[in-house]
Amino acid sequence: MDTILRELEAGHRLGSGHRLAAALTPIDTPEHPDRLKSFYFFSNAAQLSTSLRYYISHLSGVRIPKEDLNAWVDIFSAYWKAIGEIVNFDEIPSRASWANVFDSWKDLANVLIRAYTNPGLEAWTIPCLYVVGKYLRVFASKADAESLSQGSVAYSEDDMFTDFGKNAKTEESARVLNRMFTLCLNDRAAMEESRKWGVYYMSNLLFKTYFKINAVGLSKNLLRALNAQSQDLPDKERYPRSHIVTFNYFVGVIFFLDENYAEAETHLAYAWNYCQKHAIKNKELILTYLVPCHLVNTHTLPSKKLLNDFPRLEKLFRPLCDCIRKGDLHGFDAAMSAGEEEFVRRRIYLPLERGRDIALRNLFRKVFIAGGFEEPKDGQPPIRRTRIPVAEFAAALRIGTHADARTRVDIDEVECLLSNLIYKGLMKGYIARERGMIVLSKGGTAFPGTGV
Amino acid sequence: MSSGVPPWRASASATATTAVYPGHGEIPFILSTTPEMLMSSKATPAYIPVQARRSLTTPASTSTSTTPAQSKTTTDANRKRVEFPEPVRMYVQRCFAPENQISGVSRQEMELKLKSVITEAAQTDALDKINWESYPLPQVMVQNDKLRILANPEASTWGSPFAAQSPKRISTDDASRKRKSAEYQSENACPPWRQTNKSNVFEDRVTYSATDKRQRIDMKNSKSNANLEWRKKRFEDPRGGYGSSPSSRGASPSPVPTGPVVGRCQDLEKRYFRLTSAPNPDTVRPLPVLMKTLDLLKKKWKNDNNYTYICDQFKSLRQDLTVQHIRNEFTVNVYEIHARIALEKGDLGEYNQCQTQLRALYAQQLEGHPTEFKAYRILYFIHTRNWTAMNDALADLTPADKQSEAVKHALDVRSALALGNYHRFFQLYLDTPNMGAYLMDMFVDRERLSALSAICKAYKPDVNIRFITEELGFESDEQSARFILDHCSEDKLSEKDGAVRLLTTVQAAQQFEAAKADAHRVIDIKGQI
Repeated sequence: MDTILRELEAGHRLGSGHRLAAALTPIDTPEHPDRLKSFYFFSNAAQLSTSLRYYISHLSGVRIPKEDLNAWVDIFSAYWKAIGEIVNFDEIPSRASWANVFDSWKDLANVLIRAYTNPGLEAWTIPCLYVVGKYLRVFASKADAESLSQGSVAYSEDDMFTDFGKNAKTEESARVLNRMFTLCLNDRAAMEESRKWGVYYMSNLLFKTYFKINAVGLSKNLLRALNAQSQDLPDKERYPRSHIVTFNYFVGVIFFLDENYAEAETHLAYAWNYCQKHAIKNKELILTYLVPCHLVNTHTLPSKKLLNDFPRLEKLFRPLCDCIRKGDLHGFDAAMSAGEEEFVRRRIYLPLERGRDIALRNLFRKVFIAGGFEEPKDGQPPIRRTRIPVAEFAAALRIGTHADARTRVDIDEVECLLSNLIYKGLMKGYIARERGMIVLSKGGTAFPGTGV
Repeated sequence: MSSGVPPWRASASATATTAVYPGHGEIPFILSTTPEMLMSSKATPAYIPVQARRSLTTPASTSTSTTPAQSKTTTDANRKRVEFPEPVRMYVQRCFAPENQISGVSRQEMELKLKSVITEAAQTDALDKINWESYPLPQVMVQNDKLRILANPEASTWGSPFAAQSPKRISTDDASRKRKSAEYQSENACPPWRQTNKSNVFEDRVTYSATDKRQRIDMKNSKSNANLEWRKKRFEDPRGGYGSSPSSRGASPSPVPTGPVVGRCQDLEKRYFRLTSAPNPDTVRPLPVLMKTLDLLKKKWKNDNNYTYICDQFKSLRQDLTVQHIRNEFTVNVYEIHARIALEKGDLGEYNQCQTQLRALYAQQLEGHPTEFKAYRILYFIHTRNWTAMNDALADLTPADKQSEAVKHALDVRSALALGNYHRFFQLYLDTPNMGAYLMDMFVDRERLSALSAICKAYKPDVNIRFITEELGFESDEQSARFILDHCSEDKLSEKDGAVRLLTTVQAAQQFEAAKADAHRVIDIKGQI
């Protein structure tokens, strides 16, 4: 018997949603390199539903109620057609296109959604939604890439606002996924058999889609919907960890993009702590945002050890970190503009830019240390010189920014930078403008958290 | 079966997509219901492929959603075993005869009416009693209905037995989608005509609101009938009739694009009126007229400076461009000028619309002043504090853009603010290229409060007000004093050695901090002037 149909049977016999979902996974596996083809050629369009109906109604040891039977026949018929489009890539490459695959897969998604509406299939089969949703997104982006490469992107006819239809299929998939999401969220069945258990998986898929089409703003609607229902949702701890880790990652990034770095760090840190430890790629993604977050929130730089497993991040962050540590403003600016494209693409430019404050603080700290100590007063431990002329900071700034002899360093600007550091709590003290002096606090708190 | 894919497969799988059965979704439905009902044919050839298709494409395709209706209709007809008399069949044929079509009555309206006429007759056993030869054709009835409503707006279709026959005004897409989903959910629901009635309840509402609107207009402007007819048309389906492709229920809900209109209107000025249906070429101005319009508007703006008028005119100008799909240098020019005027008047809502369009237009390399407007865009996002969009705006910039004076300035402004470098920020403020200062004016006070918060915390014990005037880009000491007093208590300013000084106490810092937090609430631009 065909592998896919065997998976279908096993899923029903064991009541395992994941086995069932395996049947709906549109890929060949190493063990079954002809998995899709053999399913596709097991029947033809004329006999498909009859044979499916016969097969599914005669599954060993399972009685499927009539309505469900119809639903499954419909689902696997739609699936069969989608598989046909995929098999085309091998059979009739001239006819094969990802747009067709996507369209037929979308039909499958719609059939599935319908099968779940009022009251519909049982909740244990929810992984079917996952896998269909997942591949809907995959096929959508393949179809978009395909139409982009064929240059067949038509300018949107009546609506110039869209990104010129560049992501037409992905946008379409977002709408279908959204229906799946509401399908899960609004299920009122008792918790044990509720589709609510699928809500985070579906929202993760949607987040991913929204990020892809540059519509991060739409994710907030999801969060709002989830918040509104939060009373009725089970505790996050009771969900599969993978759902929750991914969810936290996305929520973290959404806060991150809103420059709400405190919230972002909470969520990202959760994702980081609970991420499956061998999921290097996911961990790298989390760190991409967590490192800048941590820099802004706590002014700490990532250690060599932390980035050891992530050479790409090491390369991305290390030059900046070195400059920040040394207080090398010139180097910092250069590293920022060298990495600008990558930073902007990953949307971490804005928080990283704030690292300049830390670099500046480190530079000014050197001024304080270079200032040495006051004359010791009879036996007291030596005290650092805490009254420092603004001109000395100006000189440091000249060095730090590699200013040449002709560039003028504006004393007012130096004061402004100092006042900012004081305002942000990176320095403690005050500016006495009339005397051109900075008076720093005594007792090792002039640069809080740095030991002096 | 393993010898490749048979040729029928391509079309079978394609039923899932929208485009393959242009018209088939609607036309077989009508043609196979009405005549079938009439002839009571048992198994017409048209019927069998439909059955086959059903098993193939249960999902989201036009064919499926019509199938249940069809089978139901037939079973119903079979059950009743109505043998339609010859005159009725002739009557139906006359209805579909091309010479009897009336412009202004769409095919759907006619079919709907026809169905209800026959159904009513069949139900009341009047099939044989009616003189079908002289019975008015449904299209005539529809037209009369329309005229009656026009003549007497009070006689809306509420509760009238002709509710089902009122002119169809909602788009067929909507109607059919509604109907279809209802059908799917209740397999053994009532016969098709009931369902059309059901959907007509909704139409009633639309009809009513249409008359409602009309009454309001009537009060203002009694230009009456011609105007009314025109308005009424807006609610009619622009795509009705032959050759329309039905949208499949799985298809995206976005409206099917209509082809461009070519305008015939020669008036230079036109009031803006938001379209809700396909535009009428008689009220759309073609490009040469629009060009003259722009010249006129520029002159008027210079002389009268009447923003309400200008904004309205520009909106209608833009609308005419959009409906005619004109997208060229002139379009860019129109949007740029409107954007600049909106900026000058601080109408950010309108400005933002222009800006969004301009971004799309520039992406098509249509000349204009992309760097100028990319710079505004950055400043605009600073103002609205939309960091996500800011990221996009930054990603949009090419290295060449970054060389331009305006973009460089905007980027510097952004980075100065990000780092809290108010000194640099206000230097940039005083030296803004193009019209960026209009945008910066909108957030400069907010940034002054930020700066004052920092100053109050960092400087002790006080600062000369002269310093604040210079640092924060005020025009005079009086202006800065007034600004300070607007946001903190009077006792924070005092005179010492002939100079006014701001006492940078903890309390002053708190007061500015509060004012700053207030001013930094996220700005959401939705409303317009």
